[in-house]
Amino acid sequence: MLFVRPARLADLDAIAHMARTARPVLHSLPHDRAALEARIALSEDSFRAEVDYPGEEFYLFVLEDAASGRLAGTSSLVASAGYSEPFYAFRNDALIHASRELHVNRKIHALQMSHELTGKSRLAGFYIDPSLRGDDAAHLISRARMMYVAMNRRRFTPEVFSLLLGVTDEAGVSPFWEAVGRKFFGRDFKDIEMASGGRSRTFIAEVMPAYPIYVPLLPEAAQRVLGEPDPSALLAYEIHLEEGFEPDRYVDIFDAGPVLTAQVDRTTSVAAGEGRTVRELAGAGTGASHMVASQRAGEFRCVLATLPEHPERHRAHAEAPLDAAARAALGVHGGDTVRCAPLWRETPETEDSTMGSTGDAQ
Amino acid sequence: MIVVRVVQTGDIDALVALAEETGPGLTTFKPDRDALMARIARTRRTLAGEAAPHEAGYLFVMEDTATGDVAGVCGIETAVGLQQPFYNYRVSTVVHASQDLGIWTRMSALNISHDLTGYAEVCSLFLSPRYRTGGVGGLLSRSRFMFIAQFRERFPERICAELRGHFDAEGTSPFWRAVGSHFYQIDFNAADYLSSHGRKSFLAELMPRHPVYVELLPDEAQACVGLTHADTIPARRMLEAEGLRYENHVDIFDAGPVLECHIADLRTVRESVVAPVEIGAHASHDAGAGMRSLVSNTSPDDFRVGFAAGVVHDGVFTLDKQEAAALNVAAGDAVRVLGPAQKPRQAG
Repeated sequence: MLFVRPARLADLDAIAHMARTARPVLHSLPHDRAALEARIALSEDSFRAEVDYPGEEFYLFVLEDAASGRLAGTSSLVASAGYSEPFYAFRNDALIHASRELHVNRKIHALQMSHELTGKSRLAGFYIDPSLRGDDAAHLISRARMMYVAMNRRRFTPEVFSLLLGVTDEAGVSPFWEAVGRKFFGRDFKDIEMASGGRSRTFIAEVMPAYPIYVPLLPEAAQRVLGEPDPSALLAYEIHLEEGFEPDRYVDIFDAGPVLTAQVDRTTSVAAGEGRTVRELAGAGTGASHMVASQRAGEFRCVLATLPEHPERHRAHAEAPLDAAARAALGVHGGDTVRCAPLWRETPETEDSTMGSTGDAQ
Repeated sequence: MIVVRVVQTGDIDALVALAEETGPGLTTFKPDRDALMARIARTRRTLAGEAAPHEAGYLFVMEDTATGDVAGVCGIETAVGLQQPFYNYRVSTVVHASQDLGIWTRMSALNISHDLTGYAEVCSLFLSPRYRTGGVGGLLSRSRFMFIAQFRERFPERICAELRGHFDAEGTSPFWRAVGSHFYQIDFNAADYLSSHGRKSFLAELMPRHPVYVELLPDEAQACVGLTHADTIPARRMLEAEGLRYENHVDIFDAGPVLECHIADLRTVRESVVAPVEIGAHASHDAGAGMRSLVSNTSPDDFRVGFAAGVVHDGVFTLDKQEAAALNVAAGDAVRVLGPAQKPRQAG
């Protein structure tokens, strides 16, 4: 049984290993052991803290195999992106250039450095053991974060976002960086990526463009990757879409990777989530895959379980039949309340029906 | 004798014929009879002091007085941009530096500017291929500075000249391809034509409102910024010899350079002198033997300028009868004289 829980200092070695092997690099997890230890300590403090509004908190989650105790993935939440320094992104603005006399009407996109995302809660640091990439476990470690948000709304902003890796080639060369960042930095993308990891980000204000960048004037290779996730980030991208995130008009300032945003109210974990009463189950469950989360004495847990689907009108009395392994991982007993949300959207046939069902669930 | 003179109403047929020789490309001088008539009328109104500041301008023609052949044209606008805005890009420097990362990069940005508003402009130069020898092009270009030197009070403090930018082997502008074409959505010639015919409102509507980083453009477009068309390099040298300089303004369509300077610093304004005329044969033993000067009369209505042998000597300038007739001066009249650049008078 795989389950998600907050990271502990005792996980340091295992997390350090994941941080070292993760490709792409996890910026939220420093390679330096002391720095990583400090991050884990910050996370422990954050989970414990009484929080009325998002601040410096950082929440680090791990995916543990209950049988072996081995860690197989990690993810994190930044309560307030750019809490002490601005968070930078390019906002892709549309400018209309029109002349009646010439019968010209054209929409020209320009990338403007923006601090708009500063202060919003951010999903970061997603990593899953390569052997589990095709598995629902990837959804679990990623989306457990939104289950935690759903159960702790005051700790996070009403809108959250996630920045995904942009396209780079086999050699780690980003076409967008070559066309834009390199001109300002005069360095390789990888050098800056490493340098920017643990440091102050004021260098961005010093070095990155103050004026908007007209997209049509950029080389085609750079235009093509604008807002496109790297193939290695496609899994994370799809998981976010399933949770209810959408591409927004922001892209990363270095590699033009997409920024996905979501209104927390509209995410699957919140909109389709519900409290259910645990019923102890002996055999295997029937129904559909759900995320099931508990927060006993403040200790967050999240697992996947197969639960019966049921009409909304029965919600008030909904039950969560859970087997012993799931109950143990969640630390719950029959009669306790858990939060449940379906792993897959109910009617995925068309976009319209998906939106409709999300709306109804409110 | 080849003279450059201020245009007269009777020159219209010759001008239309000359404009036929330009072929496609030169948008400011087209065989459009009505437009040319209007340009002549504007010159005459300006000479008569009847033109409003925003429309004041002069057109000059080059004539071979022996044959009456009109084979060149050039102009001066007194003050650009006072009615329709005068647009350029100003090439500014942007430095990005981070001590933390040990980074220091210099970039250029193109900023839409009206910096040159109110400048005088030398423009509209065309010389028939039949006369592109013997310094005629130089005479045509420099004649305007003689006019400005003579009538300094008619002009503002500064002057500029727009030079044609670089075009590739296919005759298109790489800069236009990389920048203008995305914004204007019409072809270069159409844009250039509309712009040079006073229909500039589309510029304000369509042009980039934010600065454009030069280093983010394709290499061939970057190279165009401030680069002079191969055919225009002699004209650039001539203007630079006169004292005009590239000061980081370029054309918004082809990124060709704008040269500019203070009128007080023009070589012709600084070095030309006014002297009375003597009429007679050029003496071979004179101090100015083997040299020639640029000489003009001092009449606004029938301004004429040409090259004549010799230099100012003992405070007078000697013209032979034929030269005096071509320049329409009589003995004792004042002429403006610009000697050769080597300052021969000190030697005498």
